Amino acid sequence: MQSEQAISRTQNAQEKGWEPMIVAFLCNWCSYAGADLAGVSRIQYPPNVRIIRVPCSGRINPVFLLRALQNGADGVLVSGCHPGDCHYISGNLAARRKFALTKELMQYVGIEPERVQFTWVSASEGGRFAAIIEKVVEQVRKLGPNKKLVKSYDS
Amino acid sequence: MIASHEIEARLRETAGNLLREKKVSLFLGHEKASLPFRTTPLFLTRIEEAERLAWNPFCAANLSVYLPRLFKAPADAREAKAAPRPPIVGLVLKGCDARSVAVLLQERQVQRENLVLVGIACPGMVDRRKAERALGGHEALGAGEDDEKNIRAVVEDGTEITLLRKDVVADACLECRSPAPSMHDILLGAPVEGNSSGLSRQRTAEFETKPLDARWAGFQGIVSRCIRCNACREACPMCYCKTCLFDQNRPRWIGAGTDISDVAIYHLVRALHMSGRCTECGACERACPMGIDVRLLGRKMCAEVEDLYEYRPGEAADAKPALSSFSMDDPQDFMTEP
Repeated sequence: MQSEQAISRTQNAQEKGWEPMIVAFLCNWCSYAGADLAGVSRIQYPPNVRIIRVPCSGRINPVFLLRALQNGADGVLVSGCHPGDCHYISGNLAARRKFALTKELMQYVGIEPERVQFTWVSASEGGRFAAIIEKVVEQVRKLGPNKKLVKSYDS
Repeated sequence: MIASHEIEARLRETAGNLLREKKVSLFLGHEKASLPFRTTPLFLTRIEEAERLAWNPFCAANLSVYLPRLFKAPADAREAKAAPRPPIVGLVLKGCDARSVAVLLQERQVQRENLVLVGIACPGMVDRRKAERALGGHEALGAGEDDEKNIRAVVEDGTEITLLRKDVVADACLECRSPAPSMHDILLGAPVEGNSSGLSRQRTAEFETKPLDARWAGFQGIVSRCIRCNACREACPMCYCKTCLFDQNRPRWIGAGTDISDVAIYHLVRALHMSGRCTECGACERACPMGIDVRLLGRKMCAEVEDLYEYRPGEAADAKPALSSFSMDDPQDFMTEP
């Protein structure tokens, strides 16, 4: 139901004054706390982001990102602890290889690279979190609504 | 150069000896099929049937796909108690098959002591679709190999047509960089030179230089023909998960039908799951009933893993797989900075 709404939103995007919708996967220990810090510090950033908390960036399966795009997200952002700072020692390092290949593959099949983004944000970087969100939202806004992987539930 | 029929004779002898001396309880090889340009897998347990083994230009199948099933781990302790001892399996290996076995060993799907590997340096196997196309309107009744290693086919009116081997060899074989098995207990036939044509990269580069939307259109061209029969998955020696993500119901990650978006995700996820594990044997391509270039994404991932992490799957059974290891200074220039 929710995804159907998302689709119809994408389809009528231009005329309704479309706003990009970004799904952000944030790790529990750094990036989620970083986003929290941006909030308590009252740093302004665009409201286009929907945050999903995951235990670690190593928990990210590329299927999550594809599913988000399939169900109407215009962009996905994954953020974890900086290399070396992972709560689980090396979750983000193992994930980094997976991320590099995911990004490369998406580009290869013709999906705009800006739709799938990866970054590191620590618990003390509220400002950085806001800046990243601003940048991602701006880039996706320029691209327009995601049409490539979106699943149509009409039929 | 040793002719295929000589290797075949030696193979039969070797397999017979292994069975006679009880060094293996099962021998996996190829058998002549009823249709030309094909062979079927043979599970050999009786010495007197060793004559059924074949070695010809049509032995393309990657037999290592059967190994995880033969050595399936018991589900629980009770089952483990009742389980028979795992067999000792002999199998025929080409270069690509040996790479697949190496990856299965790395991933602990098989034990080295349960395998007797009979390696044969592979001269490149025939793609039956290419061969059928090369015959034009003719229908082959039988096919074999001549002294120059070219393919000879007898067609419906009894005439013989010779097809140049290089014209009908499978794409995966043209791209193959190490046709000789890297790992073997017994080696039959003369070693074959490695190929450094870089054809795989050429094909990837050709696709990659197209503009974004053309690449998407190309990808959609593949996806729109896919019927989601999962043959590419079943044929792949690296696809042995107990419950595949695509079959999982709770949660159902990806729709099972032929919705174009689901099919696209199927191919993307398969490429990602195979990256750092694909040994480029071409089994998926051979299995595809729609003749789709299913290795389009796989070729790219192989090149990418090699460039970024200097790793080629299946080169050594004791290497650490690229995606289960990491380094502090892995490239991360793709990361977003504010």
